[in-house]
Amino acid sequence: MAGKELSLSIHTMKALAKRDLYSTLSSWGIYITTFVSFVASSFILKNFLGSIKGDDILISADPLNYPLFISTIIISFYLALLSAISISREKDQGTLEVLFYGPVSSSSYILGKYIKNILTYFVVVLFFLVYFWGVSLLTNMGFSSRLGKAILTSIFSVSCVISFGLFISSLTKKMRNSIIWLIGVLILFLAVEVGQTILLGLPQGEVSSILTYLSDTLSVVSRGANWISPFSYLSRGIDAISLDNSFLWGLNILYSIIYSVILLVLSISILKRKGVRG
Amino acid sequence: MKIVKCRFVLFSLTLIIGWVFCLATLSGAQAPELREQLVYGLSVFNGRGYTGGFTPRTEDTIYLMADKNNAISARITLVYFWPITGKYVAGFQALNEEVEGVLEVLKGEKVIKTLEKEDNSRYYPEGYYGEACLLYKGEEARAYFEKFMGAIEEYYKQIAEYQQAQIEYEKNFNDFLEEIKERREAGEEIEKEEIEERMPREPTPPSPPQFYVTPPTKDYVINLPLGHYKIRLRAEDGTIVQDSEKDLVLFTCRREGGTGYGIIPGNRWTRKESCDDPSWIIYAAGENTLYFNPFIQDEYNELYYNKLEDPQNRGREEGWKWVHIKSIEDVTLLFSKGEEILQRIVRLPYYVEQISGPELGYEIVEFDPVKMPDRQPTFEGYKLELASTLQKTSYEINMEKEEGELFQGGKREIRLVRKEKAKWLYILSIFPLGVGLVVFVGRRRLKS
Repeated sequence: MAGKELSLSIHTMKALAKRDLYSTLSSWGIYITTFVSFVASSFILKNFLGSIKGDDILISADPLNYPLFISTIIISFYLALLSAISISREKDQGTLEVLFYGPVSSSSYILGKYIKNILTYFVVVLFFLVYFWGVSLLTNMGFSSRLGKAILTSIFSVSCVISFGLFISSLTKKMRNSIIWLIGVLILFLAVEVGQTILLGLPQGEVSSILTYLSDTLSVVSRGANWISPFSYLSRGIDAISLDNSFLWGLNILYSIIYSVILLVLSISILKRKGVRG
Repeated sequence: MKIVKCRFVLFSLTLIIGWVFCLATLSGAQAPELREQLVYGLSVFNGRGYTGGFTPRTEDTIYLMADKNNAISARITLVYFWPITGKYVAGFQALNEEVEGVLEVLKGEKVIKTLEKEDNSRYYPEGYYGEACLLYKGEEARAYFEKFMGAIEEYYKQIAEYQQAQIEYEKNFNDFLEEIKERREAGEEIEKEEIEERMPREPTPPSPPQFYVTPPTKDYVINLPLGHYKIRLRAEDGTIVQDSEKDLVLFTCRREGGTGYGIIPGNRWTRKESCDDPSWIIYAAGENTLYFNPFIQDEYNELYYNKLEDPQNRGREEGWKWVHIKSIEDVTLLFSKGEEILQRIVRLPYYVEQISGPELGYEIVEFDPVKMPDRQPTFEGYKLELASTLQKTSYEINMEKEEGELFQGGKREIRLVRKEKAKWLYILSIFPLGVGLVVFVGRRRLKS
């Protein structure tokens, strides 16, 4: 009986993921976002090439990793947005209620959405491979194994971003609220990081006690935000690659998986608790 | 008219006075605030030699190399913040008061060592500007300093003798010239060989001692195994000196005996580059002249090593960095493309010649001791010239100990990039839109 239920759940999950994936790949959004991310990468790479003067040299381990990082951030933001509106939109339109009359459970629904977004990113990874291979061929910058490692890292980091988007979406009822929440939270993460950087730059002996207190508080908040912000998993992964620290890299992948699992479980339980109209 | 003129003068005066006051206020705001602080003066081993520095109150931890002699001293000085570098600076010239007491080293809460101040000297076997340096303590430090002072005294004695010999030489030379002149005037034919044989020889100036030893100073010499400790200063009255407690981290290298390259680009010889990790790639675009200097290197924790060099430096605890320890000199540099060796390069001395003109302002030439008798080579290295005619592809450099025997870890990749193709990158970016268009058209066709 349990096996049959599981098989049904998997089937539902597959059907949902397939339906949504087809819809995403048929729309222009993913292609335009990938194009925008590649334009940004091309701009960075053109500047890198421009910085190698005719009679000068530039030493770098992974010149393609930074453009990849920027491209991944842009695409992650799009996928986060897509995830954030995915549940709330269907709640808003009433589609979710209709779906739940059928053999759709909270877990198969959330996992279906997650798989669809991950598969969408796999398509983007194919684009990445073609683009960076093309870059390497055109400019002779080299497609290194570290770039491959960075692309692999990006899959786990994007998984965090998607789970984060789904989590936000499960909390909100309206699509508009999901977007506001997502952008608001991301701006908050950014503000904490920028604020801490500014306060850290001030000389210790010269700042007032209030600023010292604020700096200490921000430092604690920032440490916490580094674990909550899905984007920090990508920067940590890229850092581990540039440091050539396999242990840190592996640990970051493990943390990304744990982060994704926690947020997916939370999203499922919130959806269960709130119901299809909540 | 007069009133207007008067008002104008008054207005100008007010402006000038205001401006002067403004400047005074501004300069007052820029004056750094001096604070009296207990700091630790450092003379620490960095893998190659000894480096100096100080730990201000803002730094809680001192980083030292394990199982090496490191000298530290507690001093009261004036400290101020220098915004340009973002670091605290010690005004030792204004105030440099030695703090008396003993230095306690704690492991956990237990005092494991109590250090008294002891004499120590730094010994530079290649001279003061050489990087190699050893620290001697106690009797050995005094003995080395005495040896150095003896060598200096001997040198001064030789200088005095040389000066005397020089005076005599000049006198003899003048007498010789006079004699030749008189004989010539008397109609005597003098052979060139005779002149060369009888001409007084100029004395050779003595060479100063090649090594250098600093005068012994009294510091706490710390030599501890790997680990985390605490230090504090106990005053003569038995109390702990305020602000003297610091954490102490003793560390060592993670990997040793690696191979790194210092690279001097011909167009900016004062700003060297490093290619320490085999995964680092050297990107070049056109015609380059590169001078390679291979090194034996050790790998240290980035944060620990940066803090050892200057306690106010920053770094990442999870990061690692290679530190050049010793130059590799007895090898040949190979420049190759795939299996084919394009060039075998030997190490040569080079001299940077200052030239006037709007271009670089200097020229790097091969050092010739015959043509440049009174000069020293600026640097030594392996000169690699990348011609503009080289195919824009990947090349390799490596080191060869003896023919066919390669130096481990010496391989690096040089990539000549195709800058002219940079504009094509934007065109390449369009391809996802192309894929989107194919999907869109395919879908439309399916629907119809």
